[in-house]
Amino acid sequence: MSQRTRIIIAVGVMAGLVVLVLGVELLRRQMAADTLEPGSIPIYVRGKLLASFLPADLEPLTGVSFVDDEEGKTQQGWMLRDVLLLYLTRDALQDADITVSSSSREKSVPFTWAEVDDVENMVMFDLSGRGTLKLVSKLEGFDIRDAWVQDVDRIDVD
Amino acid sequence: MKTNKHYFSTFELILLTLFSALVVVAKIALRFPIQVPGHSGLFWVAIVIVAAGIVPKRGAASLVGFSSGILAAFLGLGDFGALNTWLSYTMVGAGMDLALWLLQDPENVLVAALVGALGHTAKFLVKWVMGILTGAPLGFVALGLLWSLFTYLVFGALGGALGALTLRALRKAGFFAYLAEKR
Repeated sequence: MSQRTRIIIAVGVMAGLVVLVLGVELLRRQMAADTLEPGSIPIYVRGKLLASFLPADLEPLTGVSFVDDEEGKTQQGWMLRDVLLLYLTRDALQDADITVSSSSREKSVPFTWAEVDDVENMVMFDLSGRGTLKLVSKLEGFDIRDAWVQDVDRIDVD
Repeated sequence: MKTNKHYFSTFELILLTLFSALVVVAKIALRFPIQVPGHSGLFWVAIVIVAAGIVPKRGAASLVGFSSGILAAFLGLGDFGALNTWLSYTMVGAGMDLALWLLQDPENVLVAALVGALGHTAKFLVKWVMGILTGAPLGFVALGLLWSLFTYLVFGALGGALGALTLRALRKAGFFAYLAEKR
C-alpha cells in the first residue's frame, strides 16, 4: 500500500469519526425533541417551567472569565445572574434561593440571590470541552473543582 | 545463547515512563492563556509522538498514554473523574498507535499531524461517549460540540507536527545515534 493511500484512509477515518459524532448527536436530539428543546437548560420557578435557554440566548450577554487557583485554568463564559435576569426581574429574584443541578453528575448546589448577584463571587457558567455547561465560582466553599457542577441540566428558583 | 523475551527493554521502559511523566508535567505546567477546548494537546501530543519516534515499537504510544493516565488520575487532573481522565489519556496513546500502524513514519510532518489529530480525537471521543453513558445533557452543537471536535483535531494535528519537527531536530543532533549506543 502506498503512503498516499494510507493518508487517504487516515483522512477518511477522521471524516468518518466526525460524521459519527454529529450523526449520533442528531439522533439524540431527535429522540429528545418531544420534551424541551434539545440541548436546552430549563429554569423552573417554584416547580413550574419558566423557560429554557440555548447558547444563542446567551450571545447578547457579556462574557466573563477568571483563573482558578487550583489548576490555574481560565474559566470563561457567562454569569449565572445575567442568565437569570434574561427571564426574571430583580424583584422576582430578591430573597430567592437558586439551585443549579446536574442529574448525570448527581450534584446540586444551592445559592442565595445575593451570592449569585455579587460579581466578586463569579458564579458563572463555563463551556466544558464536551459542549455542556459547568457552573464554577470563586465563592468560598464553592471555589474548588470538586464542588463545581459539570453538565448542568436544570436551574430551580424558589 | 541468551535471548531477550521482553517486548520492551528496560531502557525503553524507563524512557517511556519518563515521557509519561513529561506528559503530565506538560499538562499541568504549560498553559496557553486561551479558552479553547483541547489546546493542551499541542504540547502533549507532541511528547507522545516523540516517545513513539524514539521507541519505534507498536504499543509505545499506548504505554505512554496508559501510564500518564494513571499519573493524571492520581493527581486529580480533569473535571470528569479519574476513570474519564485515565481513559482519555490511554485512548490518546492507543489511537496514536493505531494511526502509526497505518501511517508508520512519525518523522514525516504530514503523517505526524494526522497521527496527532487521530489520537487527540480519540480523547474527545472518550469524553463524548462517557458523557452519553453517564446521561450528560446534549452538547451545544453550534457553540460547543462541533467547535470542540474541530479544535481537538487542529491542536492534535499541530502537536503531531511539532513532535515530528522535534524528532527531526533530535536526529540531526545525533540523539538517535547516542541512543543506539545506550541500547
